[in-house]
Amino acid sequence: MRDRFRGSMIAVATATVTAVVMLSVTRTSGQATRPARTVDGKPNFNGIWQAVNEANWDLQAHEARAGAVMQQGVFPYPYVQVPAAPVLALGAAAGVPGSLGVVQGDGQIPYKPEALAKKKENAEHWIDRDPELKCYLPGIPRAMYLPYPFQIVQSTNKIQMVFEFTNAVRIVHLDKVEGPPDDLWMGHSVGHWEGNTLVVNLTNFNDKTWFDRAGNFHSDQLHVVERFTPISSDAIQYEATIEDPQVFTRPWKISMPLYRRLEPNAQLIEYRCQEFVEEFLYGHLRKQQLVKHWEGDTLVVDITRKIPPGEKVYER
Amino acid sequence: MRERLLQLMGVGATITVVSLVMATVGGQAQTTTGKAGAAAKTSPAPKTPWGEPDLQGLWTIERLVPLQRPAGITREFYTEEEIAALDVQRSQKSVFGNAVRQKRGSDADVSGAYNSVFTSQRPTGRRTSMVVDPPDGKTPPMTPGAQERQATFREYQRALVQATDVCKNGDLPGCKSGPPSPRRSEPPPAYPSAGVGPLNRADGPEDRGLSERCMGGGLPDFRGGFTGIHRRIVQSPGVVTIFYDTGQGQGWSRVIPITDRPHLPSQIRQWWGDSRGHWEGDTLVVDVTNFSPKTDFLGSRENLHLVERWTRTGPQMIEAVSTMEDPTTWTRPWTAIQEFNLQDNFRNRIYTEPRCHEGNQGLLGILVGARAVEKAFEAGRGPDPATLCTGSCAGPSAEDQDPLALQ
Repeated sequence: MRDRFRGSMIAVATATVTAVVMLSVTRTSGQATRPARTVDGKPNFNGIWQAVNEANWDLQAHEARAGAVMQQGVFPYPYVQVPAAPVLALGAAAGVPGSLGVVQGDGQIPYKPEALAKKKENAEHWIDRDPELKCYLPGIPRAMYLPYPFQIVQSTNKIQMVFEFTNAVRIVHLDKVEGPPDDLWMGHSVGHWEGNTLVVNLTNFNDKTWFDRAGNFHSDQLHVVERFTPISSDAIQYEATIEDPQVFTRPWKISMPLYRRLEPNAQLIEYRCQEFVEEFLYGHLRKQQLVKHWEGDTLVVDITRKIPPGEKVYER
Repeated sequence: MRERLLQLMGVGATITVVSLVMATVGGQAQTTTGKAGAAAKTSPAPKTPWGEPDLQGLWTIERLVPLQRPAGITREFYTEEEIAALDVQRSQKSVFGNAVRQKRGSDADVSGAYNSVFTSQRPTGRRTSMVVDPPDGKTPPMTPGAQERQATFREYQRALVQATDVCKNGDLPGCKSGPPSPRRSEPPPAYPSAGVGPLNRADGPEDRGLSERCMGGGLPDFRGGFTGIHRRIVQSPGVVTIFYDTGQGQGWSRVIPITDRPHLPSQIRQWWGDSRGHWEGDTLVVDVTNFSPKTDFLGSRENLHLVERWTRTGPQMIEAVSTMEDPTTWTRPWTAIQEFNLQDNFRNRIYTEPRCHEGNQGLLGILVGARAVEKAFEAGRGPDPATLCTGSCAGPSAEDQDPLALQ
């Protein structure tokens, strides 16, 4: 007991000291040497980052469920459901973790009534409608909390962020540039510093991206303001204020930490999913079907899981 | 033909950029080309605020330099007179069929239509070839093994076009007409990658080659002079990142760590390989390995070893020198030079968003069309699909072609 007590005392003391020196210390572990500030005195966001949360499943608070796709109407009570065919064979690897949510304030997304109906419809047609499944550009803010790392390359007049997912990229202009000629999946990012906080104003969105796998969506009137504030040299508090008068009754805000990937050899590994989703998008148009089976453009998921000898539950 | 796909969203931006470039430098060739190519260092290389060489900015290739030196040319640089003459000569010729009509109603004529709208010609550059080593400006001979690989693939490709009307009518140079080949139902001898696709078949997405599948961005990228070519370089201490705007919306982003860390383990193979950079004086040297066997750079696949040297040779100029080595493909390493010109940061004329995949109605349409044609043929209502041309079987004849565009 005494040892444990002493251990935790040291931990507290260390934490305090760390917090005090955090913004001035130079760390050489993990990725390349990284001073807490850049040469122009800004917080140093250079490095590989990743959200560690369930926001991509659903921005709002939700309980865990057995499968990403659930079979409806199996039991007479709606609170008991079983996984549906597309994920059934994957067992607990295909469940959805619960979350307290990242929507600030009352935790509600202030949809207009007709937009709320569309959100619910989106959720029911997740497989058909979520742009993530088609490997489309994820948009902002979703790119920031996809379950893949991304890298921030912070210069003095530009900040380029490269995402592992589909090799997406965004550039934050800290200097003055002309706007884009057309709407964008990833929006047009213009940033400035407010003290220790990087504030990014995003405009020129199209209406094709989603916020999560729960069907939360927006129109091309979307306006996002992001705030990146250092918590420590290895964590950033990320906030995005979302405004879209066509879909929401008022602006609303999400907030979450982004964590530095501390592995000394951390680097982005290609996830070039255009290739991965060709069967999903075009499989029904092959001359010879590779995946059994398509009926017209309908994918019929036939699950045959023959359990080999010695692998039955009671044999283990 | 590799650029044919309707990448709807990328097109507007590309046209704008290309026509801007043409408007800026076309007609001034005689006065401006003297600066290009020679790359004489006049001032110290700019440095980032943290003291590393500064390669940052938006860059493009303003002038067309063919990869290989055209036949009959023995010098490394054209004279001003030759450049002026070539500009005139090339303006009357065609890149992929633009500005040239084939026999009306033929597949070859229709094939040129897209490209005449969405491609352009850059003014002639001073260098006679990107290849500077071997000194003859040509890529070195291929190894017997690589020649055999390529011949095997070409033979398969030819079998797929031998029954087409384009071939039968003599519109396809070098094509030997024949009955529908049984090889049409065989898988291709190698993955139809950037250097080899598309096939004259659309049994599935792979047949269409990487460009029509919106995966055409590759490394090294020596893409010529007929679409937008941009590099956006952003640096931070220890990292250089380059966004490649290439292939009409098939752009990609690359992160080059400045590190002495070893390459990725060899079981990790990537489309763009694995880059490791270091500074040698003012030059960024990048070592790239771990390429995927699905890539194909002029016949070189997973064994490609690429070493790039990026140097800012002036305030407005970067010289990028690439050395390619693959003893399973070429009999010796070879080296090519590209010159990039700084573009206006404020105007920001780059097609930033690589969304070819998101707007890829073309691939969908090609596959739907192929199935519909088969169905109609089975019902006795249409032509044998084997007689039709859907890839690698039409284009301008040699005498109509821009003599530098596809060298």
